[in-house]
Amino acid sequence: MAEIGHGGKKIVERILEPKEAAKKIKGLTEIPIRSQIANEVIDLAYGWFTPLQGFMGKADADAVCRSTQLADGTVWSIPIIFDMTESEISEYGIKEGGTVLLTYQDNPMAIFEIDEIWDYNMEDMCNCIYGTAEQKHPGVVRTCGYKEKFLGGKITLVNRPTINPPYGPYFIPPLEMRKKFKEKAWQAVVVHQTRNVPHTGHEWLMKGAWAQAYGGLPIKEPLCGVLVNAIIGAKRKGDYIDEAIILCQDELRKSGYFGDHNHLTSLTFWDMRYAGPKEAVFHACIRVNLGLTHHMYGRDHAGVGDYYDPYEAHELLQSIPREKLNITPVYSMNWLYCPHCGEITSEGLCSHKKEWQKFSGTLIRSIVQDGVKPPRLIFRPEVFDLVMECAEKYGFGSPFVTDEYLENRTPVFSIPPLGA
Amino acid sequence: MADKYPINLWVNEERYDKLQKAGLADMCEEMLAGLKVIRVYADDAQKDKILKVFPTAKFDASTTKSIELLPRDVKDKIFDKVIEKQNIDIMNDFLGDY
Ligand SMILES: [Zn+2]
Repeated sequence: MAEIGHGGKKIVERILEPKEAAKKIKGLTEIPIRSQIANEVIDLAYGWFTPLQGFMGKADADAVCRSTQLADGTVWSIPIIFDMTESEISEYGIKEGGTVLLTYQDNPMAIFEIDEIWDYNMEDMCNCIYGTAEQKHPGVVRTCGYKEKFLGGKITLVNRPTINPPYGPYFIPPLEMRKKFKEKAWQAVVVHQTRNVPHTGHEWLMKGAWAQAYGGLPIKEPLCGVLVNAIIGAKRKGDYIDEAIILCQDELRKSGYFGDHNHLTSLTFWDMRYAGPKEAVFHACIRVNLGLTHHMYGRDHAGVGDYYDPYEAHELLQSIPREKLNITPVYSMNWLYCPHCGEITSEGLCSHKKEWQKFSGTLIRSIVQDGVKPPRLIFRPEVFDLVMECAEKYGFGSPFVTDEYLENRTPVFSIPPLGA
Repeated sequence: MADKYPINLWVNEERYDKLQKAGLADMCEEMLAGLKVIRVYADDAQKDKILKVFPTAKFDASTTKSIELLPRDVKDKIFDKVIEKQNIDIMNDFLGDY
């Protein structure tokens, strides 16, 4: 049976078998790509970006900018575009109607059938997507850093990525994810989007969202799960290292704070744009493709600085009719420690406001950085121990991203030689 | 009153031992489910200087209004200063070295 993804379109993996791939790539011009584009090639080929089958042409990109939809009316909020300089286009001899081979790490990765070569006013694009064209906004820096021309057309993977340890078990593309949900017999699955090592505030966000998503389902068998979907992409200094994020999220299940019956950890390759409301809608689209029924949104989802009102994303999501975006947003209030209650509680529940001890990811990072083990009500001891282990094993002594980590880390995935 | 921004010196056993030996253990406050902390305060100008001198540091404007993510060795220096002066009012003195 076909799996139906975002926009009511069938999810199709655009991936060639090695023998066919070897034949198809013969004689094609090779174009090396950078990591952001390689991430997006994987997303396109495995169906994370359904209904997109390739990089956008101008009509789609323009419709995304003007009206948060593709040219055919499907809701979409972030342009997925392939950039190139004018001189590269002429050096490579690229023409509309031509086909090239995209390479990554010096190996063949994907066939790119180029339908269209186009350009766009990037300041205009920034204002539409980010609500600003200020160079202080990290998304604007990325978008304005694009080269001046864009190539639109279909992508077909010729070579599956090798997912390097410890990420292997967490790479679960849409079709496989949907199978997993069926095996688990989950009727409702709520996604927690993260770039963090979890403290108990995050843990309770998930537990609260789980209860909201469980709703009126019967409780005789476990029917509702939480999917942790970590965004793996470009890192900033001071972030937790990726290995710590993915392994510590899973540790909450392994240590029994959740269990196999209600918790699964996974990743999505994506370089954050910090586009706030527009990024919130985009996250919803890819999570529809992963088979989620519910999506958690806290305050200022995918925001940066003070560019977006904390509830702007919620308002945009509420304005989109269900038939256009088939996922239920679950809005989450912050969780905190109340010494009077003696427990982690929600700011929507407890009235001991004067006694509240709020904590943020930044505060926890600061404690960890001091080499201090936080109380178990705030940060699970198993998670703390694992963070420290990851620092030694993967982080060159630090659980946070350093220059040394950026330079010497093992890549999350590798593209092997074809047929290897 | 001018705004004051805390720097949290989280107190593990090692730091607590030092405080006890110096007879300063009652300087600790309990914060976050019993976690011990000594808080030294920076004023506006000192906060700006700290963020400039230590680029990894972050002012948590939304949740805690505190200065976080100073490097470990810098925190140790601030802590040692507190022990030396037997006082938490050490910011001027500390920043004088930078
Ligand atoms: Zn309370």
